[in-house]
Amino acid sequence: MTVKKKILLIDDDKDFLFATKLILEKGGYEVFLAEDGKTGVEMWKSVSPDLAIIDMMMETWGEGFSVLEKIRGMDTGKDKPLIMLTAVDLQGPYQSFEAPPNYPKVNRVLHKPVKADELLNIISQEISAGQK
Amino acid sequence: MNDRAPLILVIDDEEPLRDGCKQTLERSGYVVMTAGNGDEGINLAREHKPDLAFIDLKMPGMSGMEIIDILYRDIPDIVLIMITGYAAIDSAVEAIKKGAYDYLPKPFSPDQLRTVTRRGLDYRGLKIEARHLREDKERMEKAFITFVSHEMRSPLVVVQQSIESIKIMAGDRLGADVKEVIERCETRVQRLQEMIEHWLDISRVEGGNIAQNKVPLSLAGIIAKSAEEMAPVCQAKGITLEIHAPDDLKKINGDEESLVRVFTNIIGNATKYTPEGGKITVSARADEHYANVAISDTGKGIPPDKLPFIFDPFYRVKGKQEVHQGSGLGLTFCKRIMDAHNGKIEALSKEGEGTTIMLKFPF
Repeated sequence: MTVKKKILLIDDDKDFLFATKLILEKGGYEVFLAEDGKTGVEMWKSVSPDLAIIDMMMETWGEGFSVLEKIRGMDTGKDKPLIMLTAVDLQGPYQSFEAPPNYPKVNRVLHKPVKADELLNIISQEISAGQK
Repeated sequence: MNDRAPLILVIDDEEPLRDGCKQTLERSGYVVMTAGNGDEGINLAREHKPDLAFIDLKMPGMSGMEIIDILYRDIPDIVLIMITGYAAIDSAVEAIKKGAYDYLPKPFSPDQLRTVTRRGLDYRGLKIEARHLREDKERMEKAFITFVSHEMRSPLVVVQQSIESIKIMAGDRLGADVKEVIERCETRVQRLQEMIEHWLDISRVEGGNIAQNKVPLSLAGIIAKSAEEMAPVCQAKGITLEIHAPDDLKKINGDEESLVRVFTNIIGNATKYTPEGGKITVSARADEHYANVAISDTGKGIPPDKLPFIFDPFYRVKGKQEVHQGSGLGLTFCKRIMDAHNGKIEALSKEGEGTTIMLKFPF
């Protein structure tokens, strides 16, 4: 049996965490949950997951961003796939999310809610691309 | 507002007149600064931000008109009053166009000076009050929009995500009857979400947050972008999407993001009412004053008695078998956006043959 890949999910909405955890577990991943940015960063250190999904719009604007910056700043985090989640004004033609220069690398930006199969596909793509 | 004495600046090249004004106004309790020319006056104004300024229209060096122009732009809420040596109505009109509030013809009495000053300061008070009220209103609207976007969408997202988890966890084990219930939930939640999005869009237009930064735009580019976005939907439904938009069409002034949404909304509507094998045609042409775009479908059309209402909020054309349910706000959104562009939107339709939505943009 192969060891399960680990995913860290950071979002301040408990119910969203719960629903998404079920999807990820169904996909065969071991899932770790953090309800705020600080816990998320600490868990990144202690768990060293293969991928993290971070909500951009947590309690305070920019918390998701600072989590991203902190994880990218760590040796264990600089090359791992990081996915940002958003529900803000990015529907339809607003999808044109352009990262400013010097923005830490985001592998994907996904919009809430995320279709289960889409989420699992993207995660497996990102994890296997990261291993090459 | 603070209770300090109003600060008044007098810019005039005639020293006796400056001093006269200063004395009169100081006696009325105002704080007065004077300047003998435009440069000095502008520097003083930038540094001290006076409430009101008297500006002589005819001075050597920088003209009063130039000073009015600069102060109006640079000093918020300043009230500008020109002093004019000759009762020239032309220059009065021009100065008022540039932002002056009033004028004082030379020679004037101390009483006249006081009256004009008082009136100018009253006007300033009202102007500031009106601005505060407007800002409060905008702030409240904005807060409300933010509230709705976060507080109403979040629970909805959780419901949607939970439905996704139910489906993936139990997918194969569920009977057709249970699946159908779940699907119905999904569809209705999806519509609720669309309704919130559309409603937010409309609030944004009303709050002036959309279509405020208009730039010259190529209509062909906007149509191409919208077509690209809608192509998958048309393809999935077996509908042909045809575009006729010359690249050299004169540019219109507009907000790209909101206009793309107008087109995707209209094309999206057309796909809902057009059967498989049908066609949607977008054609743009221009005359001297307007760019006209027609978006036609070969759908079932809209009954004539319902046509006048389709741009009203929450109005839906219900067919005998209601299979298409939208938020009822899509076309309302389009109309608001077109209004914000000083444009027009109209619908022509023949039952059984199709519908054409006409957009008209002024150059």
